[in-house]
Amino acid sequence: MAAYENFFNAVGLKDWCSAGGDGGGGMTSMADLIAQTDGTTTQGPSLWNWPFPSLDALNKACAAIPPSRDVTQGLEDGFLAIRGGLRAVVDPLTQPLSWALRDMLWIMTNTPWWLMVPILMLITWLVTRSWRLVVFVLVSIAFLAFINHYDAAMQTLAIIFVCAFICVLFGVPIGIAMSRSDRLQRTVIPILDMLQTLPPFVYLIPLIFLFSVTEPKLYGIAIILYAIVPVVRLTDLGIRLVDPDVIEAADAFGMTKRQKLFGVQIPLALPNIMAGVNQTIMMSLAMVVIASLVSAPGLGVLVLRGIRSLELGVGLVAGFGIVIIAILLDRVTKASLARIDTSKSGK
Amino acid sequence: MRKTTLLAVAGATAIVTGFAAQTGTARAAEQCGDISIAQMNWAAAEVTTNIAKFMLDQGYGCNTSLVKSDTIPAITSIAENGRPDVVTNLWLNSAGDAYKKLESEGKIKRVAKTLQPGGVEGWWIPTYLAKEHPELKTIEGVMAHPDWVGGTFNNCPDGWGCRVVSDNLIKALDLKSSGIEVFNHGSGQTLASSIGSAFADKKPWFGYYWGPTVVMGNYDMTRVKLGDYDKAKFDKLQNKDTKDPQVSDFPAAPVLTSVTSDFAKTHPAETEFFSKMSFKTDTMSKLLAWQDENKASGEETAVYFIKNYQNTWKNWLNADAQKKLSKLIGG
Repeated sequence: MAAYENFFNAVGLKDWCSAGGDGGGGMTSMADLIAQTDGTTTQGPSLWNWPFPSLDALNKACAAIPPSRDVTQGLEDGFLAIRGGLRAVVDPLTQPLSWALRDMLWIMTNTPWWLMVPILMLITWLVTRSWRLVVFVLVSIAFLAFINHYDAAMQTLAIIFVCAFICVLFGVPIGIAMSRSDRLQRTVIPILDMLQTLPPFVYLIPLIFLFSVTEPKLYGIAIILYAIVPVVRLTDLGIRLVDPDVIEAADAFGMTKRQKLFGVQIPLALPNIMAGVNQTIMMSLAMVVIASLVSAPGLGVLVLRGIRSLELGVGLVAGFGIVIIAILLDRVTKASLARIDTSKSGK
Repeated sequence: MRKTTLLAVAGATAIVTGFAAQTGTARAAEQCGDISIAQMNWAAAEVTTNIAKFMLDQGYGCNTSLVKSDTIPAITSIAENGRPDVVTNLWLNSAGDAYKKLESEGKIKRVAKTLQPGGVEGWWIPTYLAKEHPELKTIEGVMAHPDWVGGTFNNCPDGWGCRVVSDNLIKALDLKSSGIEVFNHGSGQTLASSIGSAFADKKPWFGYYWGPTVVMGNYDMTRVKLGDYDKAKFDKLQNKDTKDPQVSDFPAAPVLTSVTSDFAKTHPAETEFFSKMSFKTDTMSKLLAWQDENKASGEETAVYFIKNYQNTWKNWLNADAQKKLSKLIGG
């Protein structure tokens, strides 16, 4: 006797109930089967273990009410139904991401190492003007190459460069727009909260169904969605934190909104924005291992191999490689951030 | 090594270690007590372990716990602390030397083949593709017409036993020379979903897969013949550093149930049950197809088996347990 059967009988819905469905397609739960074996079938639940009126409990008493399995099934069917249309729109839109990732990976792995390392050192010099960091870059990459992790490290770097660049490209304008409209801020912040707290695999599930799994953009989107949050937040915050007195002075000079934004607000917010960029880069690195589950190449694959076949050494070395790259990227972005700060105060 | 996620391993290791901490006392043979069974994270394993749990709990008066695990973590756990007691659905080819070492040390012994004759693995194409182009049923045909299979070979994720074999086969066949690109999947999930999306759009697909699995039960696939199976050649393919790999098809993969030696000593009746618990591969495929059709959980599929296949499982039990479960057998 199911718990809510009496209720449905009392309100006169018995006919309606028995008319719908066949009671879950002949599915028996393990608990029912055990009850059947013990011979305790006829006894209903006592007050102590009275079930919550959930879909499944109600379904047992009244077949016309769908079990929760039908709800998830309906969600799946609904998603599959809109999949074609969604794909027709989203697929071409995101295709440049695939090209960018594929080209960047090709460039970074096919350039010979004796060309690639100086180029990276040159970039470091240009953004930081610090000989110490240039030497640090050389030593770190030389170490990774020495233990034969050069290719994996370059793949990881290529993915991070592309994803972080796109994050900044979209994140900063979104942050600026948010700082200028309270209503936009109110709608975007919950989305950012969601992106940060959702386990990454949750938004990978619809992505896997939407795109071909052989496309690099699959992991590209996963990384970007996760890593774009800090740069958006900190751009918004930085501009909002600009001293109102300064804005008042700018108003007094008769500056237009546009002049105020580019001449006053963004320069003053730059330290915050750069801190956001730094965090974005670090978070895209954090996604490297998870992105490897959807076929991203690089050090993450080696970490996964270490875990899967319990090759402790392989996993540890690859993990250590990720740490080195993290320190490297962090130091370089922080140094360039410091340079922007001092150049401003020197003016 | 089949599917794994970071979390599964971490969780399993934590749980298994926890179990190890609170046990270690040998039990009297008459009293069944607590048993732990490693539950691999694929559908067939979930069904088998739930069936075993029901039989042991109801028929033998055990208190069975299922420990979520995976091939290598389960074996490592047994090697390090002798728990879990029972491992079923152990794919010997994936477990490799780690398992053989444990067996030769006498820590574990195989009592049965969980699947008869065993699992199938190999390189596959969708059957609609094979009907359209019958030449594709052999690897020569595939390599002659790479664009018919989409120009891509879907390879195993890194860290799986099959990855080593497939990598060696790719070298031996010189697959890349025919213009087929090798795509290395990051996880079993993307490998499975690439099959799913190919079938949804009736597109070509070519790659490694294994059964019995939900995917194999759900989609009609045709195996690509790689040649004949040659044990010596195949053994060489399983070694990562083989110099000159030779082509050999995949054999039927042994899928085992093993128990620890301690368990076999202290629980003779239950060990006997495990030594009889064996499924025909066809039966398992049917169960998994039923599971997918009805969107059932592993537990519900176990119940479906228990209610519909009495004649199969009746003989696994001893007389005492048969009496306890007589209601189900009779009905």
